[in-house]
Amino acid sequence: MAGIELKNISKVYGGSVVAVDDISLEIKDGEFMIFLGPSGCGKSTTLRMIGGLESISKGDLLIGGKRMNDVDPADRDIAIVFQNYALYPHMTVAGNLGFGLKLRGVDRGEIERRIKAISSMMGIEALLERKPAQLSGGQRQRVALGRALVREPQAFLLDEPLSNLDAKLRAAMRTELIKLHHKVGTTIIHVTHDQIEAMTMGQRICIMKDGHIIQVGAPLDVYRNPANTFVAGFLASPPMNLVTGRLEGNGGGDLHALAGAARLPIPEAFRAGYAGHSGAAVTVGLRPEDFHLAPLAGRSVPVAVRTVAVELLGPEVILVAELGGAGGPEIQARMPRDFLARPGAELTLHYDLTQIHLFDGQSGTALARPQIA
Amino acid sequence: MRPGWRNIIPHIVLSVFSLAILLPLIWVVRVSLTDKLTAYKIPPEIGHVGIENYIEIFSTYPFERWFFNSLIVALVSTAIALPLATAMAYAFARFNTGGAFLRLGVLASQMLPPIILVLPLFTLFFSTGLMQTRMGLILAHLTISLPFLAWMLVSFFEGDSASLEEAARIDGATRWQAFIKIAVPVAAPGILAAGLLGFILSWNEFLFALVLSGADSQTLPIGLASMETHAGVEIAPLAAATVVSLLPVFALLPFLRKYLIKGLSLGALK
Repeated sequence: MAGIELKNISKVYGGSVVAVDDISLEIKDGEFMIFLGPSGCGKSTTLRMIGGLESISKGDLLIGGKRMNDVDPADRDIAIVFQNYALYPHMTVAGNLGFGLKLRGVDRGEIERRIKAISSMMGIEALLERKPAQLSGGQRQRVALGRALVREPQAFLLDEPLSNLDAKLRAAMRTELIKLHHKVGTTIIHVTHDQIEAMTMGQRICIMKDGHIIQVGAPLDVYRNPANTFVAGFLASPPMNLVTGRLEGNGGGDLHALAGAARLPIPEAFRAGYAGHSGAAVTVGLRPEDFHLAPLAGRSVPVAVRTVAVELLGPEVILVAELGGAGGPEIQARMPRDFLARPGAELTLHYDLTQIHLFDGQSGTALARPQIA
Repeated sequence: MRPGWRNIIPHIVLSVFSLAILLPLIWVVRVSLTDKLTAYKIPPEIGHVGIENYIEIFSTYPFERWFFNSLIVALVSTAIALPLATAMAYAFARFNTGGAFLRLGVLASQMLPPIILVLPLFTLFFSTGLMQTRMGLILAHLTISLPFLAWMLVSFFEGDSASLEEAARIDGATRWQAFIKIAVPVAAPGILAAGLLGFILSWNEFLFALVLSGADSQTLPIGLASMETHAGVEIAPLAAATVVSLLPVFALLPFLRKYLIKGLSLGALK
């Protein structure tokens, strides 16, 4: 097992296309790290550079403290689980599992013992003599994971391994991967564009965009304190409502965020941080889950909304509404499962002011304020 | 199910085309089994049926030598072309060696009329002593089969094959091991199909064999063309010889079909 360190790493294709731009990140030994971002953000390229399938244009890659830039992928002692599983179609499941061990000259008895142990751990003992073409998607996924596990590598790199599975199986495999990490304790880097996977699986999330790291942190930290509007709009489903507005002071120390026709007083605890931006254009971030039907003692403000649509999800209801009344910016609010409203209905919701986020109107960067714990 | 009459029209059209292809073959088989007189009768008669013509081609003509020459030339030229073409195709697919220019160049060599190659080869073989030898003919056939097979094999190394090799490299394989243990076995059906095609190409080749082979190295197509006596073409023995020379090709066709389909569908494992 080993930690992985990226120091100012860049990937440039053909001299001009920058896929990954000067990123630095330290992944601790045994950590479950998520690379999250939209497609084309450079997360898979970064993973492939760590694995040795892509050359590193600039910077240093350290695995277990040793510089690995020019080390052959075979000698990095890292396993990758690919999105399409990449099982060898001409070999049986047992052949797939044992391939890496055979190449490393492990003796036959030992290979058989390890294949047996891993296949019972992954629940694929009955499939050992089958070819990959005869397996279902979930079984292939298990074999691909087993093939990575059987070598007992220093780290696992998972390249969107769950994206080809159906929703139910994906949820099951998510849990299984978390359990697996508890059991083996090896460093895992999991690349995904699915924010649910990111929130539920990782110990830390590294959010990437356009080849840059935008924010790194524990899932809840990132959720509570998004560094900018991109992170705020990417994490959680439905994501944070982002409403263009402005910050207004009355000279007496009071601050208000104006979002559409809604007027949200800034709680005292945040005022010191935000005061400098009084009068500035801001983007107001309102989490769907922080709209409530009843007032919260001392920390909520009533906001008028006009119902546009109601999405019944079962466990909850998503209310789509115009903030401040007809013609206002559209927002989504998470309501209890028995909530009902007709389109066009005027409602008063209560927003939890301790959960208000303000971002710079131009750059989208979060305005400084005490972190929400 | 579609209504019956809508199926009938395509079947009639297909039957006509099938007959256009099959009739000459059936005619050759019939002629090969009749005697020399009946062979020329128009309208055709069933008449005598026997295998005298088959006996004659082996007793009167050096048929087994032609057959043997064809077999050696086709087998050896394919055996040489196949590994080279595999390596070429791999290089094209994986490293884009030579870029589009070289790929096009390989294809362009197939667009030249073969007759353009024959004369330079003739002078070359003449000065190197390869003239009228089987080895010379094998080399000449390589000029046809190597580019063709390489071109055909490129697609078998593209697509999923690359990610399988990456998996193997991560598993601890060297580039060479990934090629030999993963890329080649995965492309095996395609390589087999290419090999069969290469064999058939060489087996049927006429022009190079006509100019470059001698009495001892004559192949079947040349042998068949030479079955002309002072009394003109003896069509009955010629038909028998044609049937025998077609046999290996027919024997290979089912495999060709099977491997081509298998090869094309194997890459689609998802």
